[in-house]
Amino acid sequence: MTTKKIAISMKGVYFGYTNTERVIENASITVHEGEFIGIIGPNGGGKTTLLKLLMGFLEPTKGSISIFGKSPKSYPNGIAYVPQNLRFDKLFPITVMELVLGGRLATLPWWGLFSKSDREKAEEALDKVKLSEFAHKPFGELSGGQAQRALIARSLASEPRILLLDEPTANVDVQAEAAIHELLLELRKHLTILMVTHDIRAVIRQVERVLCVQGQIDAVSPGELCEHFALGLYHFPLIQTPETHLKSNLGGGR
Amino acid sequence: MNSFFEALAVNQLLFFATLAGLAASVVGGIMGSYVVVKRISFISGSISHSLLAGIGFFLWLERAQNISWASPLAGALIASIISALLIGWIHMSYRQREDSVIAAVWSIGMAIGLLFMSQTPGFTVELANFLVGNILWVTPHDLAVLAILDLLVLGAVLLLHERLLAISFDEDQARLQGVQVHRLYLFLLTLIAVTVVLLMQVVGIVLVMTMLTLPATIANLFTKQLSKMMFLAVLLSALFSLLGTFTAFHLDLPVGATIALIAGIGYILALTVKKKSFKFP
Repeated sequence: MTTKKIAISMKGVYFGYTNTERVIENASITVHEGEFIGIIGPNGGGKTTLLKLLMGFLEPTKGSISIFGKSPKSYPNGIAYVPQNLRFDKLFPITVMELVLGGRLATLPWWGLFSKSDREKAEEALDKVKLSEFAHKPFGELSGGQAQRALIARSLASEPRILLLDEPTANVDVQAEAAIHELLLELRKHLTILMVTHDIRAVIRQVERVLCVQGQIDAVSPGELCEHFALGLYHFPLIQTPETHLKSNLGGGR
Repeated sequence: MNSFFEALAVNQLLFFATLAGLAASVVGGIMGSYVVVKRISFISGSISHSLLAGIGFFLWLERAQNISWASPLAGALIASIISALLIGWIHMSYRQREDSVIAAVWSIGMAIGLLFMSQTPGFTVELANFLVGNILWVTPHDLAVLAILDLLVLGAVLLLHERLLAISFDEDQARLQGVQVHRLYLFLLTLIAVTVVLLMQVVGIVLVMTMLTLPATIANLFTKQLSKMMFLAVLLSALFSLLGTFTAFHLDLPVGATIALIAGIGYILALTVKKKSFKFP
């Protein structure tokens, strides 16, 4: 039996935006290469903060994080990030190809022109997400599902080892959602994937482990998550604390 | 129209003014496009107004202290670059109170400029010139400085366009790819500061924002690619500049205000045409 490499290691990580608050508290997780992880939790629970810590945009106040044994700040760190397409200005003048080439910035020479090989990599990524015919279309004219796939293509163009996705199926129609899930199933064969989502059905069907983020980070299997549901523990609270337990018993939720 | 071109041939002041307008249009259209897509018009406004501090101080040095090398143009350039770097640092460090702090830089810069000007002989005429512009003051030396600044900005944009596009669209992605986002952002603001000085020569401090944002905003209505937007913005900016100078010459109006007003009329026309869904190829 071969031992899989450790892709992400977090040990005793604490983080807060001010000295007094703690958004992430004593988090220790290990993610192995090739795993498909779902990240769930209430709004404000620290999911986005967790992603920013992994990408090296934030520094833990205590504890350590390593990505394939290196600091997340050692760019390029093998991480690609797929944000929600709603974040972007639809009027921004950028074509789909220009967007995808954004995934090749790490190899851009000082004179600022992308090489033929960079363009080929971008075309391959577009082909993988089935958007080749949209290469010269404005990004703002794509549908929600197409825009999300274009953002996935940009991340693939950077040839990552770890893919972080922030609610990739939020605000897309059912067909687009199915296409994105199909794409992720294909990508999981050769990538480590961490996906923030509120789509619990997708989590239960697709991922191997679930990280429940609410200050602390607990890892559970999709099966255990189902048990949580059976007990009526979702949406609030997903993770039991004396305070949230009381609220859930009183019927509180958000 | 003919009399305007005849005047261009014989009137050196008008000729230099027209050249300055065209030179400013090139960088104004290009850098204005970054300002519009990155939505930093307010930041650019603050840079353009706070440079009055440098103009006032250098004018005071030149006129009241007889320091000959201290020209208002050099003062404007130094002050605009300092305020760009200061505002950039504020943007990166104090996002939650960013707008209030930038407004403070804006007004403090103007206040310093006005105070120094009040201590300078003949400041009233100078103040009006700097605020609303007097393109006819452009000297051959100014024109040479403007041309050099033009080339510097163009060269920097040619080398950095892909990276500037990346930080304008999605800073997180650029950072993940190892782009020095903060440094590049400060550099972008510095280029905008230089552009503001170029445009100030044409339309004055108060109207710089018009020339920096309107041609690019109009271009954004008809284009879906930043490079095409820049090209169209440069053409529009040059057109407004020429039409403004021509109109002001014939009707004996202030050149800067006339150019800005024509740009404003152009924007209203563009919004009307846009309803017919015209697209730049």
